[in-house]
Amino acid sequence: MFGVLYAAPGSEPATLVDIAREFSPRIEPYGPLEIAIDLSGLTRLFGTADEIGHELRRTAADRGVRVRVAIAGTCTAARLIVRHRVGVTVIEPGTEADTVAPLPIALLAAIASNGSNVLNVPNVLNVPNVPNDSNDFVVTLRRWGLRTLGEFAALAPDDVAARLGQEGIAWQRIACGQDAQPLVPAVVEEPFEQALDLEWPIDGLEPLSFVLGRLLEPLSARLERRDRGAAVLHIRLRLVKTDSVKRDGATRAVHERSLQLPAPMRDARTLRTLALLDLESHPPDAAIDRVVVAIDPTPGRVLQFSLLTRPLPSPEQLSTLMARLNALMGEGRCGSPMDVDSWQPGAFAMKPFAPRDCDSHPIPVEPMTAATRPVVALRRFRFPVPARVRVEDGRPVRVTTDRPGSSGGRVQTGAGPWRTSGEWWSEAGAAWNRDEWDVALSDGATYRLFRERAGGATAARWGAHDADRWFVEGIVD
Amino acid sequence: MANHAVAIIESALRERKLDRTLTTALPPLERTDPSAVAGTGTAALDAVLHGGLPRGQLSEIAGAPSTGRTALLLQMMAAATRRGEIAALIDTFDRLDVPSAIAAGIDLDRLLWVRGDAIAQTDAGHAGAVRDLRDRVLDRAVKALNLVLQAGGFGLVAIDLADVPAIALKRLPFTTWLRVQRTIEGSDTACVLVVPEPLARSAGGLTCTLAARTSWAGTADRSRRLDRLDITTRIVSPRRRVEGEVAIVAAVV
Repeated sequence: MFGVLYAAPGSEPATLVDIAREFSPRIEPYGPLEIAIDLSGLTRLFGTADEIGHELRRTAADRGVRVRVAIAGTCTAARLIVRHRVGVTVIEPGTEADTVAPLPIALLAAIASNGSNVLNVPNVLNVPNVPNDSNDFVVTLRRWGLRTLGEFAALAPDDVAARLGQEGIAWQRIACGQDAQPLVPAVVEEPFEQALDLEWPIDGLEPLSFVLGRLLEPLSARLERRDRGAAVLHIRLRLVKTDSVKRDGATRAVHERSLQLPAPMRDARTLRTLALLDLESHPPDAAIDRVVVAIDPTPGRVLQFSLLTRPLPSPEQLSTLMARLNALMGEGRCGSPMDVDSWQPGAFAMKPFAPRDCDSHPIPVEPMTAATRPVVALRRFRFPVPARVRVEDGRPVRVTTDRPGSSGGRVQTGAGPWRTSGEWWSEAGAAWNRDEWDVALSDGATYRLFRERAGGATAARWGAHDADRWFVEGIVD
Repeated sequence: MANHAVAIIESALRERKLDRTLTTALPPLERTDPSAVAGTGTAALDAVLHGGLPRGQLSEIAGAPSTGRTALLLQMMAAATRRGEIAALIDTFDRLDVPSAIAAGIDLDRLLWVRGDAIAQTDAGHAGAVRDLRDRVLDRAVKALNLVLQAGGFGLVAIDLADVPAIALKRLPFTTWLRVQRTIEGSDTACVLVVPEPLARSAGGLTCTLAARTSWAGTADRSRRLDRLDITTRIVSPRRRVEGEVAIVAAVV
């Protein structure tokens, strides 16, 4: 015996699910306003089908939801009748076909979605590569002169199959109130969350690591049982702050961190290490008396390693390494460099280091030939070094700086100037306008030098408000 | 008497060029095993090195500024990434020029770039403050190197210490490099130090000491441009019985 609840528009879907779960664990949602319930065995608790129906309606009303209720021997019959009649409708088992026969044929389009699956609709338009629409199917049936489900059910199955194929036969059975497939119960999504209230507050990461380990071990075991991995790790620490504690503890400060993991993982030690490294960089500012660890699960990935390519560090090892490096060097200081579409000298961007992504786009490995030779590189000063340059006949003849280790010297050979400029159309601070030189000095090194012209931003960045400042950009090496 | 004996031993070590090497308990890999070496990407250099840099050993590229250290390092990283390996660069003072790396042919997706702090000129207060700041940056770079080596899986790991004053490098405990060697021993990782002067290679590693001459094209002032670096690489690797000089030309792209 099946019951279907059909809620009024504007009802909360989660409330409808809660109402259904109060009566039976076997439920199947068909959308935000419709839900089917397996009522087998409930007659012993609630009585007759009519009493069950009224109890469902009363429970929904108590929750502020107005519903129609239909109870029948098949789920399909209940779904059809609940759309047509208000209140509580009970169909006697065995009379589904007769009960739904007078219902309008348009109801077939309304139940085209069957829970998690969409019923295959016959291709009535005969247009290739066009999705079959249930409304077109109903229009076709109307064109044949069919107005009710009973008229469609009365057609000879062979004729229906000849015109609409096997999908047509399946829809004809639906028009008789028969189920196309059994009810597929919705699985309750168990929350992956563990919490622990501490007897006394703890301060510092070392005692917290034991608490995190204790909470993550059972979560890791559950993830493994459900063949899931953690995609996001949430840590919520309730803080003990004497100035914000209320009597009922309702408004306590919470230090919350969410870690987006680069790959699904479930090893408890790795998760604990990543959490601790993150908390090292973003420590709570008070003692902690409650720890909550929650995980957003995701299906585990199946990785097929290759015998032909070089093995890479596992995602867990890489995540731990990057977390440790970020904690040591600072956020955003570790990753892969990326070229940017800019003519600005030395422009670059950073992106996360993800060598596994390279495997899907292998570079053609060209053999290094004798003709391959090194290219001259620049060791770039990320902050250009201000220089004092003596100029004669428009060319630098002596360069000195205050930088330790490169005091400068006389220009032995120089090349330039090459004038470049750009970003003058953007906001202040990004424009550059310079004359560049390559100079070999008497100290034995070759430098890239530039003179900032009017409109460039480098001089202003160094507090110089006039143009014509010289800077050392890097060392040719 | 004791001093005389010590002097004899020291001169013998200097003669065999073992005065700055580290010991290892593992037997060296066969020189002819291609998986034991990481090609440098320069045919002339690989020919002298019997295939390339030794894996599982600590090697170094030493030289003054503008001697081609960075060019050679980028060439090695390009060769490693083009072989399908992943490489790491611990950039102590954030000196890497990304366009130069692209010109060298490095597959940037396979490069882990760990950027240290670029000490700005305005950070230079009195000498003591500058020294402390520099020592902190150097300490973090060495820790980052150890983290990367312990993670494993990298074909080439390099640490750029070229702009660290020699006196600051000598203040590092000797055990620093012993620990690095122990970490990579037996692995597929070739570790390279880029230093201003030879510092600490392992017994199975090699030292490339560079000298270079800058060549310019064009005669007139207005038409002159930097053309190439003529690099002379002097290689020393006692255990591997490799010694010699190689001439390499680095072109301006």
